[in-house]
Amino acid sequence: MARLSLLLLSDGRFPAGGYAHSGGLEPAVADGLDVADLPRFLRDRLAAVARPECMLMLQAARAARAGDLDALRRLDAESEARTPSPPLRTASRRLGAQLLRTACTVWPQQALIAAYRAASAATPRPVAFGVVAAATGLDDLDAAQAYLYEEAATLSGAAARLLPIDAADALRLLADTEPTLIGLAEEVVSSRHPPAELPSAFAPCHELRSLAHSGREGRLFAT
Amino acid sequence: MRPERALRIGIGGPVGSGKSTLVAALCRTLRDELRIAVVTNDIYTSEDAAFLRREGVLPEGRITAVETGCCPHTAIRDDITANLEAVAELEQADDLDLILVESGGDNLTAIFSPALADVQMFVIDVAGGDDIPRKGGPGITRSDLLVINKQDLAPYVGSSLERMRADATARRRDRPFQFLSLTADPTAAPVADWVRAQVGLYKAGRLPAADARDEPAHAHPGSHAHPHDHDHAHGRASVDS
Repeated sequence: MARLSLLLLSDGRFPAGGYAHSGGLEPAVADGLDVADLPRFLRDRLAAVARPECMLMLQAARAARAGDLDALRRLDAESEARTPSPPLRTASRRLGAQLLRTACTVWPQQALIAAYRAASAATPRPVAFGVVAAATGLDDLDAAQAYLYEEAATLSGAAARLLPIDAADALRLLADTEPTLIGLAEEVVSSRHPPAELPSAFAPCHELRSLAHSGREGRLFAT
Repeated sequence: MRPERALRIGIGGPVGSGKSTLVAALCRTLRDELRIAVVTNDIYTSEDAAFLRREGVLPEGRITAVETGCCPHTAIRDDITANLEAVAELEQADDLDLILVESGGDNLTAIFSPALADVQMFVIDVAGGDDIPRKGGPGITRSDLLVINKQDLAPYVGSSLERMRADATARRRDRPFQFLSLTADPTAAPVADWVRAQVGLYKAGRLPAADARDEPAHAHPGSHAHPHDHDHAHGRASVDS
């Protein structure tokens, strides 16, 4: 079952609202990012933003496996505290809520998903993802890879809509992230920070751009 | 059984066919008798929501924009989660009778998921070409009401209303369609009447919430508003929170 859960969760057709987000690519394109910059942007984004989120996601997965809703609510707060940009914090809450909504329909027998959905006021995406991954039987490494993959896939998908790059070439960029993605996933799985000491994303440029982006006329993506 | 949530009517159709103007007209005509909210699905940020706010047709808090990442059809058909969240927030804030969910302008293949819209209308216009009804597509053939807008422009754009009428009848069998000119009738009276009728059926428990239609006999999404009487029980009309 875990194998199919992994495929379902990683499928771009899994309806969780990700299609409306560019993972910070649209604001970067507005600031002059071009096709040639994409590989580096992808790597940086995985390392600076997705890696610390992924650590938090795994803490949530472990708390979920223990059925510890109090720990999950504490992780909600840790996640919110690590997301200083209001538009990104709002986006994280919405994406978490959308993921939980669909997961409740797809896996109605996994009561933990509904329990967390009812208990959490904020539903930040990393915590929601950890809960769904754990409830559907994913182990830490699969969950970490799926989380990082989704980050990279969001960027590559948005690239084909924002820049003059063909979808197949955008997928090649995604495939090229393999060593980075696998390396980060293994590192994240072996880390054992207590929740309060989890590292925070440090991507001030990305955060500042997200503020400018939210008020921009004619943007295509929410973030 | 009385429904626990507002009726949700989807309004889809190609770019420029007059969806936003029709939504504004419906709000003006019906706002004194029904508690209405609108969700817009825009291609670019919140164009359509901004239009409705400028028109002042509803209180600010009753209009919500869903951002669709340049995929309006995705947001109403393949991944409706953002729309369902928006609907849930509107229902939490207010007691509502009706939520109009306006799709972003798209092509003829767009259709609402039955989990988002209980009934749906599809808006085309005579200036888009009088062959549009013949071309078909789920919006033309399966929508609960087909609105053929800008009727007054027909002589200027060389469109034959007779041809559109014949093709729409052939394509839609017994499902209704309605010619409309918002220039001649800014209240959109015939469409407002249709909306009133849907709300009446829904409140009487004779038009079950689409996401609660679990009987196999009713497994034909989006095509349930053709006028026939129900004397049998339907699936429960439930709140999705």
